[in-house]
Amino acid sequence: MTAGGDVDIRVEDLGKTFRVPEREAGLRASLRSLVRRTHRDVHAVTDVSFDIAPGEMVGFLGPNGAGKTTTLKMLSGLLVPTGGHATVLGHVPWQRERDYLRRMTLIMGNRNQLQWDIPALDSFELNRAIYRIPDAEFRALRDEIVELLEIGDLVRKPVRNLSLGERMKAEIAAALLHRPQVLFLDEPTIGLDVTMQKRIRSFLAEYNRRYGATMLLTSHYMADVQALCRRVVVIDHGAILYDGSLRELSSRYSPHQTISVTLDDQAAELSAYGEVLSAAEGRYALRVAKEQTSAVAARLLAAYDVRDLTIEDPPVEDVIEQVFAGSATTVEVTR
Amino acid sequence: MATRDRLAMTYLRVAALNELQYRVNFFLSIVQSLVAVGTALVVLALVFSHTDSLGGWSSDELLVVMGVYVLIGGVIRSIIQPNMQQLMEDVEEGTLDYVLTKPADAQLLVSIRRFGLWQAVDVLVGLLLVGIALIRLDTGVAVWSVLAFVLALVLGGLDVYCFWLLLTSSAFVLTRVNFLVELFDGMYQAGRWPVTIYPGWLRIGFTFLVPLAFAVTVPASALTGRLSGWLLLGAVVFTAVLFALTRYVWSRSLRRYSGASA
Repeated sequence: MTAGGDVDIRVEDLGKTFRVPEREAGLRASLRSLVRRTHRDVHAVTDVSFDIAPGEMVGFLGPNGAGKTTTLKMLSGLLVPTGGHATVLGHVPWQRERDYLRRMTLIMGNRNQLQWDIPALDSFELNRAIYRIPDAEFRALRDEIVELLEIGDLVRKPVRNLSLGERMKAEIAAALLHRPQVLFLDEPTIGLDVTMQKRIRSFLAEYNRRYGATMLLTSHYMADVQALCRRVVVIDHGAILYDGSLRELSSRYSPHQTISVTLDDQAAELSAYGEVLSAAEGRYALRVAKEQTSAVAARLLAAYDVRDLTIEDPPVEDVIEQVFAGSATTVEVTR
Repeated sequence: MATRDRLAMTYLRVAALNELQYRVNFFLSIVQSLVAVGTALVVLALVFSHTDSLGGWSSDELLVVMGVYVLIGGVIRSIIQPNMQQLMEDVEEGTLDYVLTKPADAQLLVSIRRFGLWQAVDVLVGLLLVGIALIRLDTGVAVWSVLAFVLALVLGGLDVYCFWLLLTSSAFVLTRVNFLVELFDGMYQAGRWPVTIYPGWLRIGFTFLVPLAFAVTVPASALTGRLSGWLLLGAVVFTAVLFALTRYVWSRSLRRYSGASA
């Protein structure tokens, strides 16, 4: 069905350099820049490559300004890259062929496309006309999505009367009415409360299951990524730092695990076993190198009256932080 | 073409729904329209209390000009200006991205998204004024004059649209272009008089730079026996060239927006 065979999204050495006017602060510099403008090249994305298979859901992670949005914009045809190449569903995105645009969608959590003063249902009509969706098909899919997102009542109210989360659900519905095969999601849950985030997450998972849609998703909420994506691509300073499973990311970037023990002894001295992260009322948390955790646990069990003991991987947020901390030092070195 | 019309009709319907939310605006529009027309009539009466003709136009003929002026003004305020202002906002806020990811002609989409239902009242008021003026003139209007009038109106509307889109395209470069709205409003005021009464350099400006002549004077000429076939042909050619130029500038602006031209 797609020209790419078993690949929906193929990105090769993709790069984007913006030329931005630059001037120093102050009136004198401002006046000088009126006459002669100096420019600076900003490398938003450099040599990014990855493949995404049909139906795959990939988390795209990175701090603010890492190049995530720029990459998504290139893949959805909004920006033309300054280097490299990409194909999505066999199309070059920035040629903006109608056949391509009809099969993809871009959802941005901080921008809305629904008309403010009228119910979302009426805005849906616009999308039906733009995507030329046959009436029967349109009604069937619309009702299905509306039911899945549980927004049956909301789509009849003017959009301005909806809460942020309700509006986001309506936005997502509008973006999916043409049943796109590829979804680019830029912070789809930003600013939403935890319950609403969960709803949207489970909806996206369901959409992926039903239609086998391919998704590339950025989010600051690791819970989104953990729930939806088995694979993550980590980007910082415009370049890819990691591409692989979320699980392996943890083991590669965090050589430690946390042992939590509850002892009868409220004043045990455990620093010989590992770094003591916390100790209160008989509950202790120890940071221990991964390959030693079982040995340390055995020694603890032998030496103390242990009421409870658990071994945990560190939270993904901490792992990611570790990855970026690592990247910052590499950058320092290369400079 | 059929799907285009369908798209436009859907937008029109949705925009009308949008407007129906604000019923008070309807009465405001009517009051505004009445005040504007009233003031203009007083000025017209004042001028003609001193003279019988202005640049060769009698008072009733000038009433035709004013009718067309109000009519085209209604088209501008109900369709052209709201769409262009929306476009400027979208460029400023980055929401134009949603337009550009749609599988439809971007220029068409940005031109039909808004429709000020109540501002369209001026179109009716303008037509009414033209009708009254024609009755008072009592010279009889040939069928071809009416056809030429309709054609000239459409061309004039297109010219103003092109002019606006050209101005708005600068939003891609300048980002903040709200002053353009004021600028255009100021210049459009001059259209209430036939461009022939202005001195040469201003007349040329109002013909080719700000297409007031084609928007107002030419359609009014069609109804007052002043329009030659050549002038109408000229209007057709001018509109075609302006439209092509606008389309070119628009696509250049889009390419600049996406960084395709460096």
